[in-house]
Amino acid sequence: MSVHFKMKHKICMASDFFYPNMGGVEEHIFNLSQCLLMKGYKVIVLTHSYQDRVGVRYMTNGLKVYYLPIKPFYNQCVLPSMVSSLPLIRYVLVREQITIIHGHSAFSTLAHETMMIGRLLGIQTVFTDHSLFGFADTSAIITNKFLEMSLADCNHCICVSHIGKENTVLRARVNHHRVSVIPNAVDTTAFVPKLELRTKNKITIVVVSRLVYRKGVDLLAQIIADVCLKNQKVQFIIGGDGPKRELLEDTRNNLNIGEQVTLLGSLEHSQVCNVLNRGHIFLNTSLTEAYCMAIVEAASCGLKIVSTRVGGIPEVLPPELIILTEPNVPSILQGLYKAINQVNSELGVPPIECHRKVQSLYNWMNIAKRTEIVYNMVSLEPPKSLGKQLRSYIPTGVYPFLLVVSFMHILLRLLDWWIPRSDIDLAKDYKIEDSQVNSNSSVLENQ
Amino acid sequence: MFLFNCRPLMSCMTDVTKSTYLSSSKHNGIVKSSQYFTKVKYQNGAICNGHLKPWKKNLYSNEGYPDNYTDKSFLEELRKNLHVRKLTLLEAILGASLITQRLCIVVIFALSFYALNCNLISPLLLLMSTTSFSFIIYLLLYENSKAFPLWLMKSAFAFVISGYILSPVLKTLTETISTDTIYATTTVMMCVHLVFFDYGVSAVIVSTSLSLNAALFGSICLCSRLQTAFHVFVFITIAVQCFAVSPILLSSIKSSITILLSFVTVTFILCIRVSSLMSGLFLLTVLFINLMCPYYFVKWHSFKDNIYGPWDEAIVQDIKIKDFHVD
Repeated sequence: MSVHFKMKHKICMASDFFYPNMGGVEEHIFNLSQCLLMKGYKVIVLTHSYQDRVGVRYMTNGLKVYYLPIKPFYNQCVLPSMVSSLPLIRYVLVREQITIIHGHSAFSTLAHETMMIGRLLGIQTVFTDHSLFGFADTSAIITNKFLEMSLADCNHCICVSHIGKENTVLRARVNHHRVSVIPNAVDTTAFVPKLELRTKNKITIVVVSRLVYRKGVDLLAQIIADVCLKNQKVQFIIGGDGPKRELLEDTRNNLNIGEQVTLLGSLEHSQVCNVLNRGHIFLNTSLTEAYCMAIVEAASCGLKIVSTRVGGIPEVLPPELIILTEPNVPSILQGLYKAINQVNSELGVPPIECHRKVQSLYNWMNIAKRTEIVYNMVSLEPPKSLGKQLRSYIPTGVYPFLLVVSFMHILLRLLDWWIPRSDIDLAKDYKIEDSQVNSNSSVLENQ
Repeated sequence: MFLFNCRPLMSCMTDVTKSTYLSSSKHNGIVKSSQYFTKVKYQNGAICNGHLKPWKKNLYSNEGYPDNYTDKSFLEELRKNLHVRKLTLLEAILGASLITQRLCIVVIFALSFYALNCNLISPLLLLMSTTSFSFIIYLLLYENSKAFPLWLMKSAFAFVISGYILSPVLKTLTETISTDTIYATTTVMMCVHLVFFDYGVSAVIVSTSLSLNAALFGSICLCSRLQTAFHVFVFITIAVQCFAVSPILLSSIKSSITILLSFVTVTFILCIRVSSLMSGLFLLTVLFINLMCPYYFVKWHSFKDNIYGPWDEAIVQDIKIKDFHVD
């Protein structure tokens, strides 16, 4: 069977995490949506309200974003009541004639809820998992069970690294055939080396991450102390904020190395590139990481990368672009001194070469192409009857959940009678002809 | 209605013009969809790919492989039950014997209340026998220590004086509360004592202070049912020996089957003189705690299925920042 005709998917990206929030997931959704729009698909984003940001807004190239009037409940996620926001989500899905729902992030309850409602409406679903999870503690066990329930009836999963795939297959018990590995990419035109920004007589080590435990800030503090006391010619620039910032400030003040350590606080994404370009070496001390966009961005800026060998990080960059270390202080120090020596003696891959290499490896259009294949595949899957759908939840062992799904189905039938589909206005598709010329106009339509 | 201003995002993202996204990429980690569908079908066994490079576990070099390709190396780094210590049945029984020991002490304590309350034994005799018993055990365990520590004498003396003075107060403290309530409270408090007691396992639930306080609260409740202030004094002394002194003394004895059996026998003999039903229940409880639970604990070990792998969060070993000054 060959698929030569181009299927016109109408895709709904659903996630609790979206602009104005910033992070890996948000960037992924935005860039993927942009590429899909350029490929001629219709894409909308579904997220919850951010303060006064409620309603429909348009972003670059007519990317339509629904900020649903649901308040976040915990950790920027909505309360997954499965019922209360059902009429609204149904309305949006029907109005936009969505054919594929693409949920993002295992933490996002809105994504799971939308996918569940979508399944009941006969829409195919794809889910991208951006994070890794252990199996040991109670919270992990509960989250894994919820994920298993949510993915039991999902058409296809996407993970950002091979480790992520292993992890998802284990924790959500998804068949490995249904899991694709499609990494993140980096906008290599934004992250270009600017050697003139580098300090001449000093070696600068840049760290850009949220300052939380999981990013290994405890390790970082010990490393800063050691490196600064031994090398007066090395300075640290740290971008990002978080609860562990105090630890770094204490280290800096106690050891009197204020001149060598600069804490920039939280950065706008647009500033990151300039901060990266001030450095020679990029240090990442994460304790767990599914993909790690930061090291790719830094490599794209031509920095030498020193990173802990955790999660998916070893898969991301070819060995000549990265120095991998174990997640402990002596090993990271060894890696860091190796990088410093390389900078001093101008060994290793030169920055421009480094940038070219990353450019050849990662590219959003390529990611979009590969995601498109997944969309094409799931859209060919036959629709499931309610009985079959309910049956797929049985292996999870959470039988009360069948009641929840059945109740959602009844509600949807009730809504079909109360607000029939024929009464819902269909949204006009945004035409994206002049976007090539006018890619900067962000305000494109007034609702 | 909504004007969307996404300046910060735009500055980094919007200048990504179409040409960027379309910039040709050397890497083609994908196959054309038509090829893809046929390949997916047969990918379970390796694809017939004589010309394909061997698959590598990275995100950039697997040209020609479909994205949902699963290699033979899948889950190679999965480890199971890394930190599990397998116990033998004897070890499990000995571990459970600590709980039985505690249970025996609580039962003996309750029996002493019964004996005092029903005048089965003279309070002075009871005081003398229990105190000398504790004293002998102390001497046996700590005979190596050179001299009898003075501070211990001091605190024992302070306790005796204050206990003797306060016993009339304790007697009337809960007198107005009905007997049923008193018994119910004491039962609950003794359960709390048993649950939160430090049996030598580092669990979240362990709280020595809560366990001791609950037990003493339970015994103070019971005090008001006794006849005289001297009875109360004797009873409080026994309570302190049972709940404050005995854990310290017993912690230095290694648990063994002999100790377990002697505890159970003594308790059972004392118990059977009071009520045969209760002693039967006691024996059943001991059997449950000390034989059934350890048996199933060991047996169900085979169900243990802890998964470890590269996705686990690394553990930070703490090195003091000060240490770096030295080297």
